[in-house]
Amino acid sequence: MHELSLAMEIGRLAEERLGPDVARCVAVGVEVGTESGVEPSALEFCLEAVFSHPPWNGTKAVLTRPHGDIFQVTWFEIEEDDRPQD
Amino acid sequence: MTVRKIEVRERVMARNDELAAQVRARLEAHGIAAINLMSSPGAGKTTLLERTLAELAEPLDIAVVAGDCQTQNDADRLAAHTGRLVQAIVTGGACHLDALQVNDALDHIDLDATRLLIIENVGNLVCPASWDLGERARVVLFTVTEGEDKPLKYPKMFEKADWVVLTKTDLLPYVPFDADRAVQNCLQVNPRLQFIRVSAMTGDGMAEWFDFLRRSVGPLARA
Ligand SMILES: Nc1nc2c(ncn2[C@@H]2O[C@H](COP(=O)(O)OP(=O)(O)O)[C@@H](O)[C@H]2O)c(=O)[nH]1
Ligand SMILES: [Mg+2]
Repeated sequence: MHELSLAMEIGRLAEERLGPDVARCVAVGVEVGTESGVEPSALEFCLEAVFSHPPWNGTKAVLTRPHGDIFQVTWFEIEEDDRPQD
Repeated sequence: MTVRKIEVRERVMARNDELAAQVRARLEAHGIAAINLMSSPGAGKTTLLERTLAELAEPLDIAVVAGDCQTQNDADRLAAHTGRLVQAIVTGGACHLDALQVNDALDHIDLDATRLLIIENVGNLVCPASWDLGERARVVLFTVTEGEDKPLKYPKMFEKADWVVLTKTDLLPYVPFDADRAVQNCLQVNPRLQFIRVSAMTGDGMAEWFDFLRRSVGPLARA
């Protein structure tokens, strides 16, 4: 069950990348290759756990399954504040 | 509220791979060969290492890092066979070692006085395969009681390995295990694999294992 450490590593690298935006991150896209040795449903379960704790905010994990051994984070969706800028 | 999308390409294993490169460079600088020993639980990693340390700990300047989910039983078992350092890593439930843990363990080892580092990974035929530890060679132990089909069921472990050690060969008369078919299954997954057959109990084949280790090491950096 290395999916938990992988989920935690995804959380860590996303926090590093997003900084304070992490609290407004609504979804994260992850490619889990068919030959990556990662079990997508286990990873999804673990990401749900990681993303339910601060600084995360119930963020949704969107997993895709390309061919090959790729295993990477491909996008973040951040909710923007729509207040008019002056 | 609008949603902004940020496109990235961040490999999840990138940090471990960076740390593994760091471990590799550190070992290289000291001329140390590192072997990552993996298998399912109970395949005989610790027993093989006990025999190895009793015979070669001093001649080959071996240091050991022993990983276990819980307890440091293995490190204690191994330390009984050598005055040289056996460094325990307790993963606290995690199913594999990672490069950060190995890098930290190196801080406790006299690298100048070491030529061969053997890492006993956590017993598991799946997870450790994904973590590069900075090793020079990956050795998988495959027991004759496991069934010939394990390389086909756990291909990644065998794909990434360099050597397969078939263990507990003293049990061959008692189990319907076809060793040649087991080897064929390994080769089907990874044609580059090389094989050693041992029984740590009777000592059969141990000379071949010792020769492999002797060939793996270079001269002592501090000599
Ligand atoms: N018959 C036999 N038993 C062995 C041999 N090597 C190890 N064992 C036994 O297998 C069990 C597990 O061994 P251990 O070294 O702890 O496996 P590890 O979990 O891979 O470290 C122990 O009861 C050992 O005594 C062997 O060559 N022959
Ligand atoms: Mg052991």
